[in-house]
Amino acid sequence: MVVRAEKIVPATEQYDEELDANIKKYLRGESANLEALQDKKLKGQLAVKEELYKRSAKTAANVEKWLLPSEGGFLEPDGIEKTWRIKQEAIGKEVDILSLKNQFDMVLPDLGPYKLDFTPSGRYMAIAGRKGHLGVLDVKNMNLIKEFQVRETVRDVVFLHNELYFAAAQKKYPYIYNIDGVELHCLKVKKSDFSADEHGAVSKLQFLRNHFLLASINKFGQLRYQDVTMGTMIANYRTGLGRTDVMQANPYNGIIALGHSNGSSTMWKPTSPNPIVKMLCHHGPLTALAFHPNGHLMATAGMERKIKLWDLRKFEVLQTMPGHAKSLEFSQRGLLAASTGSFVQVFKETAGSQNYSRYMSHSMAKGYQIQEVSFRPYEDVLGIGHSMGWSSILIPGSGEPNFDSWVANPFETSKQRREKEVRSLLEKLPPESIMLDPKKIGTVKPPKKKDKPTRKEREEEMEAAVEAAKGKKLKNKTKGRNKDGKRAKKKQEIVANAKKQFIGQNMKENEELSKKKRKRIGEGAELPKSLQRFAKKKAD
Amino acid sequence: MADKKRKSSDGAKQLQRREKTPKKFTSKKSNPKSSGKRRGGGSGGGGERRGPRLPSAFRKQLDNLGNPNLYGNSDDDVEDDEVIDSDEGELNYVKDLYEYEEEVAEEESKKNRRFDHVENYEYELPEKFKDEDILSEDDDDLGPGDEDDDSIDKEYDEGRHARMLEDITGIHTQAFADKKRKRRAAVSEAYPESEFNPSCDVLSGNGSISIQDLLDPLRGTPSFSKLRKRIEHVEKKGETVQAPLPKPERERLERGAAYDHTKKDITKWEHLVKRNREAPTLYFDQGNDMGLPTVGTMASEFKPRTDFEKAIASILDNKEISEAYKNDGAKLLELNKISIEEVKDRQNRLAKMRSLLFRHEMKAKHVKKIKSKTYHRLKKKDKLKAASSDLQTDPEVAKDQFHSMTNHWYCVFMVQARMTLRHRNQGKWAKRVLERGLSKQDEGTQAAIAEQLNLHNLLTRKINSMKDGSSSDDSSDEDDEDMYSSDEEGASKLLAKAKEKTIKIMEQEDEVPDSGVLSLPFMVRGLEKRKEAANEEAKRALDDYDLSLNQSAGKGLKEGTSSGRRVFGVPKKKIEEAANVKHRPDVDNYGSDNEDTIEEKDDIDIDLDVLRDDLETVDDSAFKSVIDVAKDSGPRTSHDVSVFTSGSWKQMKSGGKVGSTSNTNVKSVREVVKPSPSNDSEEEVEDDSDTDSGGHMIDGMLTSGKAYELPSNEELIKRAFAGDDVEEEFEKVKDDVLNEENPEPEKPLLLPGWGQWTDVQKKRGLPSWMLEEHATAKQKREAALKKRKDARLKHVIISEKVDKKGEKLYAKTLPYPFASKDVFEQSIRMPIGPEFNPATAAGALTRPEVVKKSGMIINPIKFEEVDPHERVEDQKQRGRKQKSNNKSSAKKSRRSIKT
Repeated sequence: MVVRAEKIVPATEQYDEELDANIKKYLRGESANLEALQDKKLKGQLAVKEELYKRSAKTAANVEKWLLPSEGGFLEPDGIEKTWRIKQEAIGKEVDILSLKNQFDMVLPDLGPYKLDFTPSGRYMAIAGRKGHLGVLDVKNMNLIKEFQVRETVRDVVFLHNELYFAAAQKKYPYIYNIDGVELHCLKVKKSDFSADEHGAVSKLQFLRNHFLLASINKFGQLRYQDVTMGTMIANYRTGLGRTDVMQANPYNGIIALGHSNGSSTMWKPTSPNPIVKMLCHHGPLTALAFHPNGHLMATAGMERKIKLWDLRKFEVLQTMPGHAKSLEFSQRGLLAASTGSFVQVFKETAGSQNYSRYMSHSMAKGYQIQEVSFRPYEDVLGIGHSMGWSSILIPGSGEPNFDSWVANPFETSKQRREKEVRSLLEKLPPESIMLDPKKIGTVKPPKKKDKPTRKEREEEMEAAVEAAKGKKLKNKTKGRNKDGKRAKKKQEIVANAKKQFIGQNMKENEELSKKKRKRIGEGAELPKSLQRFAKKKAD
Repeated sequence: MADKKRKSSDGAKQLQRREKTPKKFTSKKSNPKSSGKRRGGGSGGGGERRGPRLPSAFRKQLDNLGNPNLYGNSDDDVEDDEVIDSDEGELNYVKDLYEYEEEVAEEESKKNRRFDHVENYEYELPEKFKDEDILSEDDDDLGPGDEDDDSIDKEYDEGRHARMLEDITGIHTQAFADKKRKRRAAVSEAYPESEFNPSCDVLSGNGSISIQDLLDPLRGTPSFSKLRKRIEHVEKKGETVQAPLPKPERERLERGAAYDHTKKDITKWEHLVKRNREAPTLYFDQGNDMGLPTVGTMASEFKPRTDFEKAIASILDNKEISEAYKNDGAKLLELNKISIEEVKDRQNRLAKMRSLLFRHEMKAKHVKKIKSKTYHRLKKKDKLKAASSDLQTDPEVAKDQFHSMTNHWYCVFMVQARMTLRHRNQGKWAKRVLERGLSKQDEGTQAAIAEQLNLHNLLTRKINSMKDGSSSDDSSDEDDEDMYSSDEEGASKLLAKAKEKTIKIMEQEDEVPDSGVLSLPFMVRGLEKRKEAANEEAKRALDDYDLSLNQSAGKGLKEGTSSGRRVFGVPKKKIEEAANVKHRPDVDNYGSDNEDTIEEKDDIDIDLDVLRDDLETVDDSAFKSVIDVAKDSGPRTSHDVSVFTSGSWKQMKSGGKVGSTSNTNVKSVREVVKPSPSNDSEEEVEDDSDTDSGGHMIDGMLTSGKAYELPSNEELIKRAFAGDDVEEEFEKVKDDVLNEENPEPEKPLLLPGWGQWTDVQKKRGLPSWMLEEHATAKQKREAALKKRKDARLKHVIISEKVDKKGEKLYAKTLPYPFASKDVFEQSIRMPIGPEFNPATAAGALTRPEVVKKSGMIINPIKFEEVDPHERVEDQKQRGRKQKSNNKSSAKKSRRSIKT
């Protein structure tokens, strides 16, 4: 008889998959194989460090599991119920009053389709009506802070580093306003200066928060980066791919992606005049583009009725969905909203698989042309800017349920805001830190390809050449020329020839080195004045 | 060598002995001077040249005389009898020289012995020769030098005697010589035996000292038997003690042993040091208390020093006093005369006062802290009300008071100023001056203008301050009215009130001052004219009121409210109201729902129509705010517009009591309206208008075709044929880029004229090396292309250009302790700042190597047992306590860190 007893695991030791996954996430990668290390001291130090990392990751995972105040969740269908059939009204009946407040339509028919932008904390929203209506709202209190009319076309609006400043792309130039509606800057230059330094008629604006860069694409397809702290124009590049208003910054690494009418999208950084990546995404013109907050996923929509999801680590298509999209947007938790006409669709990653599938849908009143969809951070709210004003609908599970006050604080006081401004200015990143893989910063420089071979390499090469020369078999010559002496001589000659070029190189280098040295010495040791007349005069 | 020494000493002894033989030979030369000279000479010969030196000639002579012989004796053991003989002879001679100072000679002899070795060599050779020399010399000097003769004689005698003995006996001379020597030694011992003066037996080797001899004196001491046994043991075994090792070798061995010992001693520290070296952090923050002295400790250490302090201390320490105090301290107080009730009473009273004070204070604080504007406004209003309560109750009294309060002259002045309107720079003169430019005028004019302006300011300020009171009254009225403005009655009441007021104003204006400027005929005329106009205006307003009153009676509830608001006192208030409405961001706007608004749609539709018609007539730039009001409700606006179009606004304003600048009123009205919670009607109306207009616009948009544009033909075609050539284009672009970054090798070409002289070369084609080069270049390129990231991705171009500006963000070389790139890169993968780590873990990640309080004394390391198998991490967990126990160990490791 076999007695089978289940192993009783104490509750604390039970294998917690979720926690483990979180720990892995916070460890940010594997540790190196320390066993293979030769240096014992280093090994010890790294082991200690690794232990600390592990502890930190574990604490973080535990905090995430136990201490965070609220939990995220999605709509969960019962049986054959479909989540996308659930209407906003039905959701409205179930949610609390505070959330209900976020379900509204703002009808402002006169001043054209509206663009929206939220601050990273989700507290403030900037609106820009095409016909010149600009405003800032406190969406938490439902409080209009300021609205004004600029009486010219406004194509885009974007908040700068905090809610106090925002930039609007107007008819001829972008402008920077403060929250009181005071025009602080018009981003143009005087006529006397070169016009290459001004943004021109900007069609889309993006602000890179960590770098304090305002990026714009104008109607001639010129991409510009301006540092808003000092006002210097960091970069000005011609895309050469025509006019576009599809531009999006990758929140992960600050790279700007543009969508073009030839179906390609290009990715730019301020330090290189050519796109770092250019990819053919669609056969038709690109209509919209969005980045997942983790930076690895990109969604593009083309005119040929396709929405594609790209893995940016491999630059491969993950998924292709049918449908138009005039605007795309990823939420903090990875929901993808797409809008076309007066219809909004939200896609969600199905658990387990990497595929996005329909999650919710919402249709506005007929005739409303949706201009932009924008998820409100830290809230389950999707803002929709359309031709008749703007609306806000509830998308359960879209926003991050817990905010991190190091990152963004919806309840920020003015003092905190001031301090954060100073801090963020101090921590401003230089524009060259924008690169495809920001994790590479601080690592060892990759070897240059076209670099001169080092001395050692050259020596090795020379040795190899000499060896080759020595190994070469001499032809048998006619009688009398085939003597040993002659053969030896010939061999020597060959070897000398093989050496010759390398020696020439070496000499050149040595000369240069010595020159440099002399120069350095000459610079370094200035003779006292009394002795200078004895110094050798340079041949001028 | 030792033998040699012994021999030499032997010689020396002999010499001494001989010296001490009875002094047969006295010489004339035996004076201290000569001896000194000799000594000097001797020392000079020895190489150590000290003291006064003789001239070399002298010295030579002296040397020739004595020294060689003297030292010749102790020279070598391989010497002939002859030498010895001669030696002896010479000794005698020397003896003469030393004779005088025996005492010194004892020590001197030793010195001499020391010098012997050196000197001896020099004069060894000439010894025999010297004999002859001397002989010859002697021959020469025979006459004068007696002593020389004597010595020589003696020597000769002895030599002869020895030779004779040899001849006779046939035995070697040596035997005789020995005999002689022995005898002599026995005789000549005159000093106590010591190590410096070994006995003759010892020297000759016959009577050596045995261990027994040395032991004998020890007999009877406690350790004697032990010693004896050991010695016996040694003797039995007969082991020979090995010669000691040479010094360097011995020292080397010693050093080795010492090193081993020390090593053993030091290895015990190893674990301790290792632990400290491996510890990520060393703590020096505990252990010795370095806290600043507290008051208590300072007081406990206090000792009275001055007289005064001592006196006080003596009192304090006095036991009697302290005991007395302890027993009944109350007696020491003077209060003991007061009765307990009294004290209690007083205390109670004080406590009450205090509590009252406290409460009052708290209340004041609380009130001060209240931030509510409403509260403060109400409070202020209460105050004002209280102040002007009597004014309110009886207008007559109020008037009197006003008159009494204000100066009569001031009143007159004010009226004058207002009548003339001089202060507004509206006179002809003022206008002209301003036209020309103020800066061009002379000082007098400027001053006059400035004065006017000043006056204007003064007056307006005064008016404002006066009006404030009245407006706030009004507003309070309005407030009240607003409270019940939702019902019809309120509206009608408002209208009635407005009517009343206008009538009042009309009546008031009838009063004309009897005296002063105003009583002048032309003034009176002007006033009357104005009054008439105002009356007309007022009448019109009254008519309006009547009309609206009737309307309100006829209309439903909601209309009533809107019309009620329309009345609102006097028209200027509407403007303010409008402004207010415009500026105030209303929360409820957002919550507008269609269902709510539909009900009221029809009414407002009508209103809107009226509204728009009216609006067109209005100059919008001037009265924008009015437009907004107009949007709210039809009839009201129409009324407003009529007011404005009639242009009676100014007149009304100047008409007296009502006139005031708008901004003050805006303020007051705002204050009133904002907090009132029952603004439903108003808001509803607003909402209605919003949604309504929205609806309109939707219709408009749908009709206007703003909504959706059919794509143009061009676009349609483009869309239809999109993707036809996009891919090809992209491939081309990619090729271009690739060629730019990895250029294709040039095709091998023969330069025309080169290598083409003959047909043969032409037929052969390109030389093989060229082809080879080309092939390799091509291969290289392909390899490079294959290495590219986008090699397999047809639709992607990834630029491989190096970003020079970004290069500074990379590490140039691998940092020192790291040997592999991967390990380094993985070691920096984690951010360690507080932004990225939980607060509990961030500290450990960024803790410095040494944690130390400033001013901390770090004691030297002390030994402590450490478990060698313990892991560093555990130690860390044990943490501070352990560290504090042996801050000493930490110290040591600190040293190691330094090194």
